[in-house]
Amino acid sequence: MRIPSFRSRWLASLALALCLCVPAMAIQAAEDVQPAVATSAAPGAAPADAAAPADAVAPADAAAADAAPAGDAQAAADAAAATEEGTRGLDEQIQDLKKQVVDLNKDLFVLEEELLFPANTQVAVFVSMDVGDFFGLDSVTLKIDDRDVSNYLYTPRETAALLKGGVQRLYVGNLKAGEHELVAFFSGKGPNERDYRRGASIRFEKGIGAKYLELKITDKVRRQQPEFEIRDWE
Amino acid sequence: MLKRIDTYRWLLALLCLGLAGPGAGTYASERPAAHGVGTDAPDFALPAASGGNVRLSEHRGEVVVLAFWSSACGTCLSELAALDQLQQTYRPAGLVTLAVSVEDDVLRSARFAADHPARFPLLLDRRKLVSRAYGIERLPTTVLIDRRGRVQAVLQDFRSTDDSYVAQVRALLDDPL
Repeated sequence: MRIPSFRSRWLASLALALCLCVPAMAIQAAEDVQPAVATSAAPGAAPADAAAPADAVAPADAAAADAAPAGDAQAAADAAAATEEGTRGLDEQIQDLKKQVVDLNKDLFVLEEELLFPANTQVAVFVSMDVGDFFGLDSVTLKIDDRDVSNYLYTPRETAALLKGGVQRLYVGNLKAGEHELVAFFSGKGPNERDYRRGASIRFEKGIGAKYLELKITDKVRRQQPEFEIRDWE
Repeated sequence: MLKRIDTYRWLLALLCLGLAGPGAGTYASERPAAHGVGTDAPDFALPAASGGNVRLSEHRGEVVVLAFWSSACGTCLSELAALDQLQQTYRPAGLVTLAVSVEDDVLRSARFAADHPARFPLLLDRRKLVSRAYGIERLPTTVLIDRRGRVQAVLQDFRSTDDSYVAQVRALLDDPL
């Protein structure tokens, strides 16, 4: 005969305990429910049975039956109104939270800019484009003091945005006070769809405040050529 | 005596760990960050062989299949043909395929692009900045990017009989933004 292991003996005793306990718990639960039902039914039922005659009970029941649907409808309407109000309140809270997040993001962005590019050393270069009949912009390369600082490729969507009047911040960095040179190379398609590459440069004085420069691409109708200009925003 | 040898062994092992640890750390930090699944796909703008430039971030909201290829890689070419079919089928559902050439010879890539017209742009990564950013170590490698701009899968070893590409792309297309 095989001797059962400790594990199987333990499992068998657990099963036995469950078999004994579950029915006992079910009986206990049933006993708990029955008195509760009895007590809830008792207040209404006892006076009607004891004090009122049988015919007097019927009108009271009818009135209660008439009043019940109206009360239910009112309660349902109240509940719906409360739910709607709650939803609206939740919606407003979400909108407020979103607004707060956007505001916080904006503040953080400004703070980051102020920390990374303090006003006394900041230099920013912007690009704008006008008309664009004689030049299709493909890329701009920026050099400051003979050092490459930016090389940006333009997609058709970005070029279209510039032609609609958009101004792009191409570069932002730090420079110490003094004289500097900015050189910009523009490449793209020139008149008659030919590859076109032009450069423009400016020498500028960096003072104690922030410096803003603009690379402006315009069409010169008289010369049938694009013109590249670097302007200093005072 | 034996105890002393054991001590020496322990010291030697510790010394090896001490030497190897910093070295391994330096190597890891100098390596370009291999692009992991679940991270944001690095943005880039590259010129297309057919003209114009393409920027990845302009395709946010679409599922992007980014295939790295070279004309010298035979498997890449069969993969490009399969991707062309995939692009044709799922373009209306919001699929964008971008094929990035990692070839040194740009003219060769341009010639290949002219000989094999595709329904998607063949991009030229002349300076290998994009392939470095994505940690490409072998060809072909295909990166699947979801509508939120996150890398969802990095697939290698393309086989024309393997339908798992299609299943993964379809799963990404089914996922709304």
